[in-house]
Amino acid sequence: MCALAMPVVDEVILNLKDKIVRDLKKFTNLNNVIFDFDEVTPYETDALSAYKQKPMVVVLPENTEEVSNILKYCNQNNIKVVPRGAGTGLSGGALPLKDCVLLGLSKFNKILEIDFDNRCVVTQPGVTNLSITKAVENNEFYYAPDPSSQIACSIGGNIAENSGGVHSLKYGTTTNNVLGVEIVLMDGTIMRLGGKKIESEGYDLLGLITGSEGLLGVVTEVTVKILKKPQSIKALLLGFQSVEAAGQTVSDIISAGIIPAGMEVMDKPLIKATNDYSKAGYPLNVEAILIVELDGTESEVNVLIEKVDDVAKKNDATYIRISKNDAERMRFWLGRKAAFPAIGEMSPDYICMDGTIPRKKLPEVLKEITKLSKKYGLRVANCFHAGDGNLHPLIMFDSNIKSELKKAEQFGADILKYCVKSGGVLTGEHGVGIEKRELMCEMFNDDDIQQQLNIKIAFDKNSLLNPGKVYPILHRCAESGKMHVHKGENKFKDIPRF
Amino acid sequence: MSEIYSPVSENELSDFVKQCFADQTSIEITGHSTKPIGRFIETSKILQLKKLDGIIEYFPEELYIKVKAGTSLKLVESELDKKNQELVFEPADLGHLYSGKSNPGSVGGAVACNLSGSRRFKVGALRDHILGIQGVNGKGEVIKSGGTVVKNVTGYDLSKLIAGSYGTLLALTEIVLKVHPKNEECQTLLINNINLEKALSFFLKSMQTSFEISGACFYPQNMSKFFKLNDLDTSTSITALRIEGPKISVTERINSLKNVFDEYKKNISILENYQSRIFWRDTSDLQFFNNSENIIVKIVLPPTYVNKFINKFENEDLKYVVDWAGNLIWCEVPKGDSVLLRQLRKQIIIFNGHMTIIKAPNHVRIREEFLTTVDENIKMLSLKVKESFDPKKILSPGKMYLEI
Repeated sequence: MCALAMPVVDEVILNLKDKIVRDLKKFTNLNNVIFDFDEVTPYETDALSAYKQKPMVVVLPENTEEVSNILKYCNQNNIKVVPRGAGTGLSGGALPLKDCVLLGLSKFNKILEIDFDNRCVVTQPGVTNLSITKAVENNEFYYAPDPSSQIACSIGGNIAENSGGVHSLKYGTTTNNVLGVEIVLMDGTIMRLGGKKIESEGYDLLGLITGSEGLLGVVTEVTVKILKKPQSIKALLLGFQSVEAAGQTVSDIISAGIIPAGMEVMDKPLIKATNDYSKAGYPLNVEAILIVELDGTESEVNVLIEKVDDVAKKNDATYIRISKNDAERMRFWLGRKAAFPAIGEMSPDYICMDGTIPRKKLPEVLKEITKLSKKYGLRVANCFHAGDGNLHPLIMFDSNIKSELKKAEQFGADILKYCVKSGGVLTGEHGVGIEKRELMCEMFNDDDIQQQLNIKIAFDKNSLLNPGKVYPILHRCAESGKMHVHKGENKFKDIPRF
Repeated sequence: MSEIYSPVSENELSDFVKQCFADQTSIEITGHSTKPIGRFIETSKILQLKKLDGIIEYFPEELYIKVKAGTSLKLVESELDKKNQELVFEPADLGHLYSGKSNPGSVGGAVACNLSGSRRFKVGALRDHILGIQGVNGKGEVIKSGGTVVKNVTGYDLSKLIAGSYGTLLALTEIVLKVHPKNEECQTLLINNINLEKALSFFLKSMQTSFEISGACFYPQNMSKFFKLNDLDTSTSITALRIEGPKISVTERINSLKNVFDEYKKNISILENYQSRIFWRDTSDLQFFNNSENIIVKIVLPPTYVNKFINKFENEDLKYVVDWAGNLIWCEVPKGDSVLLRQLRKQIIIFNGHMTIIKAPNHVRIREEFLTTVDENIKMLSLKVKESFDPKKILSPGKMYLEI
């Protein structure tokens, strides 16, 4: 059960559960409505599993019309709806509410059209990110955004979170790779934004929807652009005696006019953990490693490798290895990609933070994280998408020890606040969800947040779609970022708050 | 004549809009007033952002530049050039179109119109290169969104929404743009004297290669006469494919590309670095319609429909240029020919595309739809979005649609 303040439970709606279930069965196949207390358990959490809440009822519609009818019904009857893709989100964006209809898109699992001539794929939203690439790779095409959960996460969820991956600096995030959606608004309105053409006119509603965390509408069809695979991909594995040297190398590579496909930094604790776990063969006598991946034509990659090699030497790299073949390149990535399970081996629990910082601030922010680690008495390991400044500190704790989760969360919040103070942002790719909701006021003032809430109302006048997510509830930004809720009540409850 | 107001600070601008909100006074927002794009509107006041100018910060190694909205694009581009960087979306200098001479206007104006050059299909539009914005909404409140970093999903992405909103949502005050290292080398493969259908098939074929084409355009015969480049044969149609990057790689890819079209080798030539850069700059700047007195429209549709679409007008002597690897048609319609304009719009809707009037005499801007949107649901939602920023509809009202 989550301890965060969530929207007030509507007891009237809960009491009408049997009727709501009966009504929902009119809109879709009977078996698509799940309401048994035990059977809804798989839907009680997403990948932010510290928070759990069983929904009132789960419905798994099979087509757009069903989605539209369900949303229209819920809107008319004042029933909250929480949309859910694959449930791999890390910020609790799909956490159910006690009185909600959880709308799962898992039955939207077909790729509808592959159009190589217009270089796009039309797909249903429940299709996994990786299966889009799998569907086009025989023709040497791929879909660029590659979040680490790509084997499981759905493309609809990617739209909701504006997912990135390790290649964002060069190839952008979801928002730069989606051409169109079919979307259903809370009142049941179905509309198409964009499509196969390269851009649309009028307000960029597609750009607004992307990354809106399921608050504005439910996506029922997606058109993404696909890219031709680069001719050649090579990587360098570089070791440094200080994080500063690794950070300086990243800055110098970019200053030399090179935009690598990916750049990843790992600190010493993570190097050891991932190496033990994956046997990636990383150098262990260094303070930081940097993986630089370059792609393009064969000769281009060779020129760039040489330049990066020069930059690394100038920054006193003590270990330099250039991949000789694809197998070796994949080995460089092996440890990095095993970062999460490796930490899972080291600690019974961990939380993964997701701030973005200006690249040059990496050493400073890492020093602060080390300081905070001592303050909270919790271990931390850091990986960093250095290309785009996205930092993932992995905070280790033991949920069996009372108060450690809270401590870990406070530690995480302090890291994110420091990211913002350093000119960065709260979340690079995991979304705000419930996890960082109360920190929004670190970045935005009342006017900023009110403007965003006004946009929400334009799409969903009764605020029934995924309420309680992204925006702080029950307090103003001018007040402190956190508040104490005791027995569901807060101080000054009569003050109008959002 | 509307009263013109040019604030020198964000505070001044905010106070001005607050007053207009209180009085329900309509304002047309302009940057440097270089691009009369959008429906023709008459407002009580004109808000010019040109005195809100200057580069706030530029960190080449962090790949961004933060400027005040009224900063001239020329200044930004020359500062970036000193560090061998550029705005990779190639903002068009539409001064040539509107007045026959260079006048690219302000960064805020470029953002408001979301105009992107020939690299569009490879690197995205201007909207893909805005990292953050700040501006004043219709109530006079200062609103911000985004930041200075590439990866950011904190809150709704208002930068995208503001790009291409023609000053109907916010009066921009600050803009953070992503910048990019300049390519060392640029070369262009030219194929003379092939028709549009063939050119489109060549675009398709070249996009299926790994050569990373960064420009692909088609000039029908007589449309390229304005070029003054030694190595460009303008006597026939021109199909052009651009390749950029490190010199060694560009040369290698150009040669490989040549082999792909080996059967046309007699028609093929290569435009070297210097001339290539002029060719693509002039193409992005719409030099082919320099100072045209006619109606200029931008048509976007899926590339596979372009030939069919153009064929519908084969009896019309339509002047056009195709860019963005077949995703875009720039078209000139005689200024008195409303019938043709409406026929174009009708066909575009059939082909799932859209048409935007980029330049037109005022009487056309009053009478004709500026955009193509036909879905009433989208229009209704757009209106609600407009009202969420500007509840009294005082910011450039009617600029995009009659009611928005």
